[in-house]
Amino acid sequence: MHLDLDQLDRDGALRETAAGVPRETRKDFLLGTLAGGGAALAALVLAEPGRAASKTDVEILNYALTLEYLQAAFYTEAERRGALRTHVARETTRVLGAVERAHVRALRDALGSAAVAKPFFDFGGVTENENAFIKTAVAFEDLGTAAYKGQAYRIDSPALLAAAVSIHSVEARHAAWIRYLAGAPPASSAFDEPKSMPEVRRLVASTGFIVQRPSTQSQEAPRFTG
Amino acid sequence: MANRTDTPASRGRFLRLGVAGAGAVTLGSVLAAGAPRLGLSGTSQARDVEILNYALVLEELTAAFYRRALVRAGLSGELHDFAQVAAGHEREHVALLRKALGPNARKVPRFAFGKAVSNPQQFAATAIALEELAVAAYNGQAGNVSKPVLKAAAGIVSVDARHAAWIRAIQDKRPASQATDVAKTRRQVLREVDRTGFVRS
Repeated sequence: MHLDLDQLDRDGALRETAAGVPRETRKDFLLGTLAGGGAALAALVLAEPGRAASKTDVEILNYALTLEYLQAAFYTEAERRGALRTHVARETTRVLGAVERAHVRALRDALGSAAVAKPFFDFGGVTENENAFIKTAVAFEDLGTAAYKGQAYRIDSPALLAAAVSIHSVEARHAAWIRYLAGAPPASSAFDEPKSMPEVRRLVASTGFIVQRPSTQSQEAPRFTG
Repeated sequence: MANRTDTPASRGRFLRLGVAGAGAVTLGSVLAAGAPRLGLSGTSQARDVEILNYALVLEELTAAFYRRALVRAGLSGELHDFAQVAAGHEREHVALLRKALGPNARKVPRFAFGKAVSNPQQFAATAIALEELAVAAYNGQAGNVSKPVLKAAAGIVSVDARHAAWIRAIQDKRPASQATDVAKTRRQVLREVDRTGFVRS
């Protein structure tokens, strides 16, 4: 099967994502992404040519982007710190980190100059504590699923709706996967409930993970003391 | 790239499951036979009814599959737990869709699962294929239904996605390696169902 990566991946987002995926799964990931997911993400366009995006769509995309920033930062920090040793945590950070970063890139590209800036995060040690990490990851993925579900019917653009539902079910897969690895029921009810934008914002705010300024957590002595 | 909308897993499975033999009918003909006479052609309500019936028959298929598998496939451990929970969910999905459709709901088709429910390995492979197909089918209709139907369907599709991830995890297959899930058209979905030969009337 011949895959023309450059043609499908003009902005390099997929290549960058793939670069963050461990060697043994990289080929799988590229094949899978380009065969299916890549096409849908590449099609994530906010406005049709010659038509401005609706205010609602911009609001929803930026809302989704903030949640994806949060998830991506969480997994990326956990991976970089390398403090988590169990199979569960490592699998989660590696694969989910790469996917959430791809979502961030795609949403940013779709929004262009209308994209909100990446907030500052302080996960307060959760990315280094096995138990807290898994619990938080489950909560994030369940929340992501409920958040996309709560917005799908509000979306104006057909292309954006198609992209949003294709991300929505991936978030549900993530939630089920982490739950499975953590020994929790992957699907505990016949119907998943949506969450509204204010509900989700309140829940995210209650975590305290989004902060005004980057906090200094380094235990190292400063290199330059003047 | 003729197969770009099929996940490698689901496509291979369905091709191998190609057991359509004597007695198999096409799902399209089943749906056409059950089409309601509403005189609402072209309206969003008529389209909703058509798509809800399409979803209903997929949920009936999956629900029947789990029901038979629990009796015949010799499931134990994780596979049995999965089948039992998923069977309950699919039953509830069927009930919700039937309630939404009211008198416009088509009757339950007859299914035959043959080898697919004969042992745990065949069961697992078929379960993955059916759940993946359901997710792709719902995602493919998001833009075709009214807002209230979209709201209800969104609560079902993510549970089917959870089932897909769950059974894949049990089978040691990566539950989510793509950044997005594929969407399939009704035609693509019906063709895949027809290939299985599971629908008998």
